Order: sequence, then structure tokens, then C-alpha cells
Amino acid sequence: MFQKNVLRQTLFLLCISSSIVLSAQPDTIVIGFGGFESVSISSSDPSSHPEATLDQSGYLPNENAASRFLSQAALGYNLNDIQDVANTGIEDWIDAQIAMPQPSNLTSIVQGYLDETFAALGTYDGASRYLFWEYAWWQYHMTNNDLLRQRVALALSEILVISENSPFGGTSFALANYYDILLSNAFGNYRDILQEVTYHPSMGVYLTYTGNPKTDVSQNRYPDENYAREVMQLFTIGLFELNNDGSRKLDENNEPIPTYDNDDISEFSKVFTGLTWSDGMYFFGGAPSDQSYLSDLVMWEEYHEPGEKHLLNGYTVVDRDPVDGKADINDALDNLFNHPNVGPFISKLLIQRLVTSNPSPAYIDRVASAFNDNGQGVRGDMAAVVKAILLDPVAISCDSGEDDTFGMLREPFIRYFHINKAFNSSTISGQHKNVMYSIEERFNQKPLSSPSVFNFFQSDYQPIGPVEEKGLVAPEFQITDSQTLTGWINGLYDWLINGYVVDIWDLYSNQPNTAYENDYPTLDFSPHAIYADDDELHVMLDKLNLILAQGRISDPTLEIIKNALMQYDNEDQEDRDRRVKLAIYLMMSSPEYLINR
Amino acid sequence: MGKRNINRREFLGQASCAALGSTAFLSSVLNMGLINTLAARPHILQNSGDYKAIVCVLLAGGADTHNLLVPTNQTDYDAYALTRGNLALDKNNPAELLELGINNNGKTFGVHGGMTRVHDLFTQDKLSFISNIGTLIEPIASKSEYESNLKKLPLGMYSHSDQIMHWQTSVPQSRSAVGFGGRMADILHDMNTIPNVSMNISLDGKNRFQTGRDYNEYSISNNTDESNVGFKGLPYWWSDAGAKNDIKDGALNSMVEQQYSNIFHETIGALTKQTSESIEVFQNAFANVIPLSTEFSDTNISQDLKKMAEVISVRSKLGANRQIFFTSYGGWDHHDNVKSSQNAMLPQLSNALGEFQESLEEINMADDVITITISDFARTLTSNGTGSDHAWGGNQIIMGNAINGGRVFGDYPSLALDGNPLNVSNRGRIIPQISVDELYAELALWYGASPNDLDYILPNLCNFYSTSGCPSTLPQNYGPIGLFA
Repeated sequence: MFQKNVLRQTLFLLCISSSIVLSAQPDTIVIGFGGFESVSISSSDPSSHPEATLDQSGYLPNENAASRFLSQAALGYNLNDIQDVANTGIEDWIDAQIAMPQPSNLTSIVQGYLDETFAALGTYDGASRYLFWEYAWWQYHMTNNDLLRQRVALALSEILVISENSPFGGTSFALANYYDILLSNAFGNYRDILQEVTYHPSMGVYLTYTGNPKTDVSQNRYPDENYAREVMQLFTIGLFELNNDGSRKLDENNEPIPTYDNDDISEFSKVFTGLTWSDGMYFFGGAPSDQSYLSDLVMWEEYHEPGEKHLLNGYTVVDRDPVDGKADINDALDNLFNHPNVGPFISKLLIQRLVTSNPSPAYIDRVASAFNDNGQGVRGDMAAVVKAILLDPVAISCDSGEDDTFGMLREPFIRYFHINKAFNSSTISGQHKNVMYSIEERFNQKPLSSPSVFNFFQSDYQPIGPVEEKGLVAPEFQITDSQTLTGWINGLYDWLINGYVVDIWDLYSNQPNTAYENDYPTLDFSPHAIYADDDELHVMLDKLNLILAQGRISDPTLEIIKNALMQYDNEDQEDRDRRVKLAIYLMMSSPEYLINR
Repeated sequence: MGKRNINRREFLGQASCAALGSTAFLSSVLNMGLINTLAARPHILQNSGDYKAIVCVLLAGGADTHNLLVPTNQTDYDAYALTRGNLALDKNNPAELLELGINNNGKTFGVHGGMTRVHDLFTQDKLSFISNIGTLIEPIASKSEYESNLKKLPLGMYSHSDQIMHWQTSVPQSRSAVGFGGRMADILHDMNTIPNVSMNISLDGKNRFQTGRDYNEYSISNNTDESNVGFKGLPYWWSDAGAKNDIKDGALNSMVEQQYSNIFHETIGALTKQTSESIEVFQNAFANVIPLSTEFSDTNISQDLKKMAEVISVRSKLGANRQIFFTSYGGWDHHDNVKSSQNAMLPQLSNALGEFQESLEEINMADDVITITISDFARTLTSNGTGSDHAWGGNQIIMGNAINGGRVFGDYPSLALDGNPLNVSNRGRIIPQISVDELYAELALWYGASPNDLDYILPNLCNFYSTSGCPSTLPQNYGPIGLFA
């Protein structure tokens, strides 16, 4: 590697690209905001980060550090967002984000498209209604500034997984309304998330406990074990007993201790019986209507398994008379939520999504402790968890990025979204529609489209090579192969060079969509094109490096890119414009961009 | 990624079954009736046309294979029907069950009524079933052994993520990144002539089955249009587009030629490099495909298998004398609607297999390709309403002219809940009596692995095959499956 600077020993929050140090190019854009002098290292919470405290003014990063922070705290961002963080300070920015009321929700956006359809066609049943989920996701995320909420919600959607690869794949309300749980509770309490997820029809259908009846021994029929298993394995406690730092507890033979066995699953499966549609006439069967996905599942007591249920850690759900299924479920969710595994288990997954694939035990311990108690005796406070993750010295310090095992492969979907934000995608209409069809084909990822409840990639995936040899993991590599990598690079070609940055299909179908041109976005490269001249290329590259890669693209790589650009004719305006696109194409294909550290 | 600097023999030394003497091992292989594979280094090509391929179709999610292959003699059918309740298929209705027309010591069988092509391939001796196969570390003969704590059980019993991994690695005592096909490639890759082109071709991206210590899979899509295989060239209307494109590709290559110290940089850099190096070879190969006259259905599984047949047809362009293909066909986790879902999905599988076999016959390669199905696990014999839950041993398909066709291998167990020593749960979960190792071992030897290689390829194999050296006693019924004549 090519980093070598003594400054990072002392300037905690100053992410310096090695290009600046080694080449000593004048670079007012990157250094801006008063340069080194303005950097202060502080926290308003000296008890949790005493080592970082110099004064009480809050973290005030330079632009590269702000960009790096946003790569952890947002799905996409532009230069204004970076400058906003640099001016506001990281902790104040987080607090403002948490305090910001949720501006809208996906369900209402879907409803808006339905209303539009009705106004145009006289029926809600337009042939494109199954696309409204994608349109709504894109519209919400391209037009709202709740960047942190959006980031946390996507992370949660990769933990509490449902997918359009399911019976409700064509029902926009089913996907939008479920995603709204994750958006609205991004800074809420994990217990509430568990509650809302469990009662949501989409999860009920996805993990098959909608219309799940009690035992009938005469028919050799037993409760469905699907949700009982996955709510434990994936949503709360995982397979093995954990210490608070995420490490596995060991028994006397030094073996990990399973958190549950099949008998436990059988007991939990009894709890999740009796739930069905809120608006159905029958206990069994599919959704009565699309609107059925907008209301919680309801309990039909006669289908709920009566009797005691023996759950984890010696807890027993009492034999309720009369049967009270919702009380049973409440007990079971409490039993899971209060299991000591939940803090370290969920904290580690969230750190992996936001910051680094292999968090240290100490890092997990700090975040899990915030999960266990937000400082006011509340367990499961997501705002406290998110702050603990993002304000942790490991996340904040650019120094940690110099560790050869630190970082993560950026998720392909997030990279794609970032392009749209970084280059200020805009439309004449102000509407942002994208069915995201071709990107899924290219790299197998878009929100809520996992092939199974095990997410697009598993948290313990190990690619062969140095990661596996060190006993570490790199989850995102599970969807990264010769095909999807080619898909990514060819995607860059289509989005940047061809200008086909989104997929828009007709909103109603069977009707000419006159709004198409008004809805098709353009990316704005003009702020970069002004530096496309031979003499100023380094300015353009540094600026792109800041926005896309927080200055992590190394000097040698910048040199390769610059040499390529220089071979495009400096005297030809078209070629100078092409330089910008080629620069972004190459930068976003480079290992130094693809890995976030 | 390309070959790394690991001395394969050193690695084999570490990985070998320390307790097993080679003589004992060879004698056990003799027992398998595979004397002709005993040349010291059989993975030397026999002749210029010597080609073999293994195709693995993963039925992801845990297929309910006790409704794929069903006992039809009265005693066993009655037990089946009683246990399965509303999930049982009607043996008197050919739309539900097709009689296979064989008799294994009084046991007769039907295949799911939607699988007419599989039925026909079976009667033509081109396809067989392996009954009650599953993930095992060592033989487990009964429920009492299962509960005794004396026998090692696969990690994460009944969990998707673990069992799907174990079927691919066949090392179920650990969570290993390396699979059966990958270890075969580690040993045998030199049989192919283009070093940078992987022996293992995936139609389903990354998978453990094809991941080796030294070699990764190469992933392709079933759409191999030129624009989908390589990096797109710049628009033709650009001035000097060709030259500009060379500049672009040159810069791409230069960036990944750099040395990285961060492990993630190194990993993504190596993948980009491997991809870049293979592209031209694959583009050339696909350009040489002569369209098959066999018609394939418009399903993903059929299209994946079609693509494999096309790759096999241009194998010489890839320098391939040995290839392992992988794809998955997902959606088998039928916690509900198992019957209606399988009525829709099993015909797709059956047609895909039939079409693939037909296409291999068209290109005269049906003698050289063996296709297997694998799945996370079988499912509970009892119903949970309209579906079934996670279980263990089940039935799988093996297809190809080289195998003993028209057989049901193994001893199909009773499916009774009570008084059944192989049933470990009131839900109906059956202990497998054939291990994944046993299937893979016979495949490996057919493919060209030397008996001496098997301890690397299948580290647990000695638990099932050897007569001495490994655990002192093995149950009598752990003989070879007998896949080959």
C-alpha cells in the first residue's frame, strides 16, 4: 500500500488521501473549510468516548472524513451533504437526523400512484400496479433527506428479510407497508420492530404462519415450524450462545453451545398458531385483497394451540384459560427480546452492514451494551445503537481504515444508488421512478428481493483467499462473482456513458405515458467537466475521489486514470466531457472504491 | 481466482486421514468394484477424447423428496399414507404417482406424477434414484444411536444455512468454505489445458460446491450474448472508439494489476483479474456454439442446463477435459402448499432433466456427463397444515448413461412414525443411511480422481468405507452404493 503519513497519528478525524500527502498537489477543494486547523476531536459524551474528547463542540470532520462518515451513515450523498456534515459535525448531524420527523412513507406513495391510475383509467387495476413498490422506494429515497433513517432501514431489511420472491411479489402494498415498519422504527425500539414484523401479513405469508393451525394428532398435523426457527436463527438470537462481545460461549469441552434445539422450535411453533388475515372470512387461504397487507394479522383463538409452551432459559408460557394467542405471542417475543444474545447478535449484523465486515469483540461489546441499555435503562433503543455504531472510534477514525483487515465490500445496490445521488440525478417533473429491473439482472440486488430469508448474502460468508485464510468474513462477496462483477462494470457503462441510469416503465400500461420524458433523469457532470482540461485533471479527480471514495483512491490508481484520460483529446470538447464519465467509470471499477474503509 | 502458491501435496498431507493406511484404503476401494480406476495416477487423460463432466443441481430450500419417490407396495405405502396424512399422493392415480416398475426385494416405487420425463429416463436405464441419502459425519444406525451423544451429528441440524452448506462441502462437522467440486478442481485442474479458465462453471454465482482452496468457480449467466460476457466496448459513434476502448480496458487492467495489502482489496482485485483474463476465452467459445436442435423449456432451470450443454459442446475452446457445473433451482422450502407447489415445480425439474439428457445425446456426450440433484434436507413426513418442515434423509436423482440406470439405490426406509428405528421425531424425520460422502466418492473416482486423492476430496470418507485403520467397526450396511456397473 501507499499510505504513509504521520499526520494520521495526531489528526484523528482527518481522512487524508495518500495522493495529497505523496504528491503534495495543491488541492483547495479537498482541504477546504479551514484545512487542518478546523479539526477538533471531541464528543459530547465523554463518558463513552473519553479518549476522543478535547472539547465540547462535537466531532467536526474535514471533507474526506465527512464523506467517509456518510459512506457508513447514508445510502447516497452529494457534495452538499458532505459539506453539511463537515460544517455541522458528525454527532450533531446524527442528532438532527434522528430528530427529523419521517417526511413520508412508502404506503402513501403507492396509494398516490393508485389514485393517479384511477384518475387516468377509471380503475385502480392498472397493469403496472405491481411496479409501484419499486417506484415508491425510489421516489422516497431520491427526494427525502432522512439519509440516516434510509440507511438503517435498508440494513434492517437485510436482517428481518422478506422478499418479492414470494406469493406477494406482485402486491406493492405488501412490500411498501412492510418496509415502512423499518423506516418508521429505524430509531425506535427493536422490541417494537419484532412486534410489528411478527404481526405483519407479509412476514406471515413469507414465513408461512398466516393460517397456521394448532396440532391435530389424529391427522398427524403439527404447527408450522418456519417462523419459530427463523425468528430465532436470523431475527433475534442466532444459533449459539454469545458473550456480549459477540464471541461464542463454550461448554466444558470447548464446544459452542446451541441456543435452541428442535424441541424448542416445536414449542415456539405452537405460539405462532392462530394468526390470519384481518379481513378474511376464513382462517385458511390467501390474502382477501391487496389492502389486506395494510392491517396486522389477527388471532383466531380456536386455531391457537392451547396449553403451556416451554420456551428458552426456563421460561414457560402459562396455560391460559381461555386461550389468548396474542398474550402467548407477547410472552414469546419478550422471551426472545430479553435473551442476552440479541444485543451482540443484532449489533454485529448492523455494524457489518454499516461499517466493517469484521468488527472487533470490543466494538461489538460497546454497541451491544448500548442495545442492552441506552443509558436510561431502556433495552433495544435503536437510536442509541445507531449512535454507538457510527460514533465509535473504530467507525469515526480514519486510522482504522489503514488496518489491512478493516472495511467491507460496498453493496452493489448502494453503489448504484450513490451514483444517482452523487451526480444529482434530476427530472423535469421532479418525480423519480425506477423499477430497478436491469440492475437486479446485473448484480442480483435491489431492496426486498433476496432469494431467501437468508438475505442476498450471509453474515458469515468467507470468500476463498486472504479473508478465509485469516478466519474472517466478507458477506457481500457472496453475490460478487465474474458474472455480477461484469454486470457492475457494464452497468457503469450504461448508466454513465449511455445515460440509461434508471428503468422507467409505463405507469398504467396500455396507455401512452406522456410523462416519460419529464420523468427520465439526467446526471449532472457539469461541476466536474469544468476541470476536464489537462492542467486541471487532478482537481477533477480529487473531487470525484472525495465524493465517491472519501479520498481513498490511491495515487498510483489516480495516475492510471489520469493517464487514460490524457489520451482523450484535450482540444475536443466532446472528448473532454467523455473524460469525466470515463474517470467515474474507472474509479468506480477500482478495488479502492469497491472496498469501503 | 488464479492458482495460489500452495503446494498441493503439502496440503494433502495435512488434510489426510492420518489413521488410515493406504493399503487399507485401497482394499476398500477394491470393494467398491472400481478396479479399473486404480492406476497410480488415473487423472492422466486416457485419450484425446477423454472428457467427463459432473452437473450438480441444487434444489435450494429442502425439497420434500418423500413425495418425489414413494413406496408403492402395500405395506410401505400404507405406512406412507398414514404418516403423511393430507400430504400423501394417491398411488392409484397416475397423475399423482407413476409406477416405476421395479421390485427391490418386495419393495416397489412410484415417482411423482408430474415427472413423466424422469419416469421415462428411469425405464430407459438412464436415471436412478438414491434413497435415504443425507449429510452424515459417521454412520448412525438408529434413533438410540442418534440420541446417545456417542455419535457426531452434523452441525446445525435442520437449519437451512448449515445443511445446504454440508451437502456442498460434505464436511458437516465444520462450517467450511470449500466444497466437493472445488476440492476436485484443486486436485484435477491440470487435466485441463488453459490454466486461467476454471474447471468449475457456475450458472448460479458463488457457491460452496465449486469453491476450492486453489480454484474458484467461473460464473456465467444463461444469457451469453456478447454484451453479457465481456466488458462493453465504447459506442461506435465516438471518434476513435476502438482506440479509446483499448485505453479504457488497459486502465481497468492496470488498476487490478496493483498489489494490495488490504484483504478485501486483494480479494476483489483477484476476482476482477480472473474475470478479465477469462473473458476472451469464453467470448470465443460462445461465439462457436452451434445452436442445439433440442428444445428447452422457458424456465430458468431448463435454460441453465441448456447453457451447460452449449458449454460442453465447445469444451475444446475452453481447454476443458473435465468440468463441473453447478446451478440451483430454488423455492423448495414448502412450509405450506407443498403438494400444489410441487405439482408445479417437479414437472419443470423433470422436463429440464429430460431436455438436458436429450441435448447431450444430440451432441454425443451423454456417456460422459453425470447429473445429480442435491437439496438442503428432506422434510418432515407429517403435515403442518398444507406443508412440511425441515428434516434430514431423503431421495435424490442421478442421471447419465454411465451409471447403473433404472435403480433405486439404498434401502428405502419405512415411513412409519412408530416402531421405526430410523425415525427420530414425532414429526417424521428419518436418519439417512447413505452419506453424501458415499455418493461423491463414487462420482470422484468416475471423474478421474485417484483413490489416493479421496482423503483430500472427502475427508470423512474413511468413516464410511474403510475396513481397518479408521474407526474400528463399521455397520455392515455401509457398503458402496454401486452407481457404476
